[in-house]
Amino acid sequence: MTEAIVVENLVKVYPGVRAVDGISFSIAEREIFGLLGPNGAGKTTTIRILLTLIKPTSGKLSVLGVDALAYPEKVRQLAGYVPQDVSVDGEITGYENILIYAKLYGMPADQRKKRIKEVLEYLGLEDRANSMVNTFSGGMMRRLELAQSLVNRPRMLFLDEPSIGLDPNARGAIWALVRKLRDEFGTTILITTHDMVEADALCDRIGIMDRGRLAVIGKPGELKSTVGGDILSVCSQAANLPAVVKELGYSTIAGSANGTVDLLCTNGEVVIPRLLEDLKARGVETASVSLKKPTLDDVFLKYTGARIGEGEGEGGSWKQARRTRRTFRKLTR
Amino acid sequence: MKVKRYLSSVFVIAELELRKIRHDQSQIWLRVVQPALWLTVFGVTFSAIRSIPTGDYTYLQFMTPGILAQSVIFVAVFYGVVVVWERDMGLLNKLLSTPTPQSAIVIGKSLAAGVRGLFQAAAIVVLAMIMRVDLILTPVSILGVFAIILLCGMCFSSMSIALASVLRNRERMMGIGQAIMMPLFFASNAIYPISIMPGWLRVIAVGNPLSYVVDATRSLLVTGNLSSIGIDMAVICVTTGILVALASLGFRKILS
Repeated sequence: MTEAIVVENLVKVYPGVRAVDGISFSIAEREIFGLLGPNGAGKTTTIRILLTLIKPTSGKLSVLGVDALAYPEKVRQLAGYVPQDVSVDGEITGYENILIYAKLYGMPADQRKKRIKEVLEYLGLEDRANSMVNTFSGGMMRRLELAQSLVNRPRMLFLDEPSIGLDPNARGAIWALVRKLRDEFGTTILITTHDMVEADALCDRIGIMDRGRLAVIGKPGELKSTVGGDILSVCSQAANLPAVVKELGYSTIAGSANGTVDLLCTNGEVVIPRLLEDLKARGVETASVSLKKPTLDDVFLKYTGARIGEGEGEGGSWKQARRTRRTFRKLTR
Repeated sequence: MKVKRYLSSVFVIAELELRKIRHDQSQIWLRVVQPALWLTVFGVTFSAIRSIPTGDYTYLQFMTPGILAQSVIFVAVFYGVVVVWERDMGLLNKLLSTPTPQSAIVIGKSLAAGVRGLFQAAAIVVLAMIMRVDLILTPVSILGVFAIILLCGMCFSSMSIALASVLRNRERMMGIGQAIMMPLFFASNAIYPISIMPGWLRVIAVGNPLSYVVDATRSLLVTGNLSSIGIDMAVICVTTGILVALASLGFRKILS
């Protein structure tokens, strides 16, 4: 497998802060990699360094085999970027927004029209192409931003908080698009997010970032299994429930509520049917079973010692979301 | 090939601005209102008073080139505010993530400011004609004036962009814009000749690039005496070059 991105010991120091504090990671081609962490963890700084928008204090990085510090313009030609803030121009049409970027990427005039039409259709914006962007909804603006960066067919796409400030529907649409891009075009995608659900739903691998450092890198499933397995809570009126469960060889957790037994297992969804049959065979009537899977939130807690929503994080993300909303409003004014 | 790509980037950046104007032309016409009032209110009144020595020419003839230049610098000096706003919106980050060189962005944007100035200048020339101000309007003089106006817009908008990368916030940009505007306009030969100024102010007016813009425009449109236009153009071009270079060098700073 070829590496799309290799980062070695990257450091970015601003006066008084080490925004990025010696991180190393690599991203394979066709991979969706997520940088997960609270606001201020250094995710956006990392993305901007990779995009050659800012120079790192020290460290090495290659993007698609190009030494990004020596040849920044080559990286920019190959990469697409959707920043966290809304970056479409509200005072021109959707078509024009894409046209300008097609030209800036140096696309030959004879290909432009066709390519723009393609991305507009791909993102479901063709019937609004000639409307002014300040009449678009937030979700449409995000799609237009994707269209702008896709028109050049980037091999590497950087998405900074792609679904911030969007409603659940629009968020789902963006996720589906990101997956489709990877599946259909083999685009390598780096996203940053402070949203556990997003990282879990979208990423092949994630790196958990906290205060400029990468705490851990792995597949969401693997990371979750390191914090312990699934928990099954079985509810029944039968008095012999705890005994029967133990007899069947499950490890139970002490201190369960009366009439309930919590047991630890891996792949809880596979265990449930087997467990129910076994219990029935032994004459135990089950009232309910619930499955609790460990979340990335638990993973974050384990590796950084804090919940992602705690303290600054939550306030920051709210502030962020509000800021994005405000930008939408400004544009549509 | 590289030069071609560079120039095309410059023009695309300018094109972006022009497309905005095309969608909302009212911003151009609203900008014409103030210079039009200068001509019709201030100009007409001061013509009646006859207190300003303008030699063989009427006061309206004398001041029309000054008002042309003024209409351009009013847009250009506040251009940095637009750039700061685009930074706040996230537009600049994305623009800089494309292969476009930052100097091409600066030149493209200042060119757009110049083109905005052209529309206004054309409107003011038409107004002056309606007011029967006697101007030399030959193809050469008109083309010459348009070239000067374009350079003037580039000159002062790149100054504004350079300031934006130092000041980095809209309120400060509004403040500095207003602070610059007054001496820029009144310490120049725009609405009265430098010869009536006290000595210390003359020094400032001679160092003021706007004086050269007005002098060149006046030579072309009013006097027809082109003896000093070479020096005027040289000063305007060199100043524009220096300011564009400064703005390009500092441009990335505006992001941090």
